[in-house]
Amino acid sequence: MGKEWRSFLRLLKRLPVLGLGGLLFLMVFVSPALSHRVLVFAYAEGDTIHSEAKFVPDTPVRGGKVLVLEQGSGRELLTGETDNRGKFSFKVPKEAAAGNLDLKIVVEAGMGHRGEWLLKAGSYGRNSEPLKNLASAANRTAVQAAPGPEILKLESQALETILTRVLERQLAPLHARLAEMAVRRVSLTDVVAGLGYLLGFFGLWAYFKSKGQRKV
Amino acid sequence: MHISEGVLAPAVLTGGMALAAAGTAVGLKKLDYEAIPRVGILSAAFFVASLIHVPVGPVGLHLVLNGLMGLLLGWLAFPAILIALLLQALLFQFGGLTVLGVNTLAMAGPAVLCFHLYRPFLRRGGWWATGAAFACGASAIFLSGLMVALALLFTGEAFLKVAELIILAHIPVMVVEGLITLIIFGFLQKVRPEMLEAIYG
Repeated sequence: MGKEWRSFLRLLKRLPVLGLGGLLFLMVFVSPALSHRVLVFAYAEGDTIHSEAKFVPDTPVRGGKVLVLEQGSGRELLTGETDNRGKFSFKVPKEAAAGNLDLKIVVEAGMGHRGEWLLKAGSYGRNSEPLKNLASAANRTAVQAAPGPEILKLESQALETILTRVLERQLAPLHARLAEMAVRRVSLTDVVAGLGYLLGFFGLWAYFKSKGQRKV
Repeated sequence: MHISEGVLAPAVLTGGMALAAAGTAVGLKKLDYEAIPRVGILSAAFFVASLIHVPVGPVGLHLVLNGLMGLLLGWLAFPAILIALLLQALLFQFGGLTVLGVNTLAMAGPAVLCFHLYRPFLRRGGWWATGAAFACGASAIFLSGLMVALALLFTGEAFLKVAELIILAHIPVMVVEGLITLIIFGFLQKVRPEMLEAIYG
């Protein structure tokens, strides 16, 4: 047996210690990535609602079951399934637009994972009135009659509709980004706080137990 | 492994709470003064372990360490896991307060079971103990997967399908946890044999 062989054996004996050291290293330096919380967000664009679900931080929920519920009663309006990018789009349900309902969008990702997003009635469907009709109505009035307060009103209405559409399209990525930022991520502070709580809790426990044990 | 809030039926939630409370009561009864630091340390390890990613599979999984807790704590795993899960729910939003009972049961139950299952082999020492330590870490995850599937059974998900899905997804975690349990058991045998003797002597 050579010297090297023996030192290798010694290394083998130390393996458990090294392994534990490695584990501790992992525990400290692994970035706090958590991936089994499901983040759902949704925004409206015209009469379509786009929803997206992912496991935090960034894995799409593929084939997750989507339920669109009425916020108040929990009535199911429609269901669907997310695609490979975790996305699911649907037309605003007629009754929701008519009744000004708040929508709760629930995504069930399987194995007990679930996330939801509340889409307020105000944030969709206000401009569901077809744009073309409005515009042509404005045109017609313009041809028929001289400019008056009515056509001004119509024009401004049409303008508002167009503006809302464009703004919605422009703001969609921003909405998505905001939704992402609204999610509380685990920070180092949380981890340290938790460990502190545990230390304090078990410290207190030991303190009271010790008081009971040796009566002074 | 954590079941989210709002998935389970109230009956399952209350049942889980009752059983978890019972388990915790048994654990607290067995808790003596010397064991408190051990419970605290393992509770902290469990609390942090869920942040360690095992980057395999579709869902992205994390360590649980419940086999290790069973191995070193027995029934004390119940209070240790309960407290760690409470803090995880409050600080990380893993699981939730209403699901606390079910989640505790799903993770601490297998820990206790594995403790009793593998104790005879761990007592024997040598290769038996080594193998049992690995099996303890791995099968605790397996059983936890079964428990989660069982809890979801009452929500209408097909048991076999869910169980298969969870267990298949957790195979890498089982291997990793088996190794970790084995390594830590070996480490304690060398460094703190008296601690193991107190449990397995």
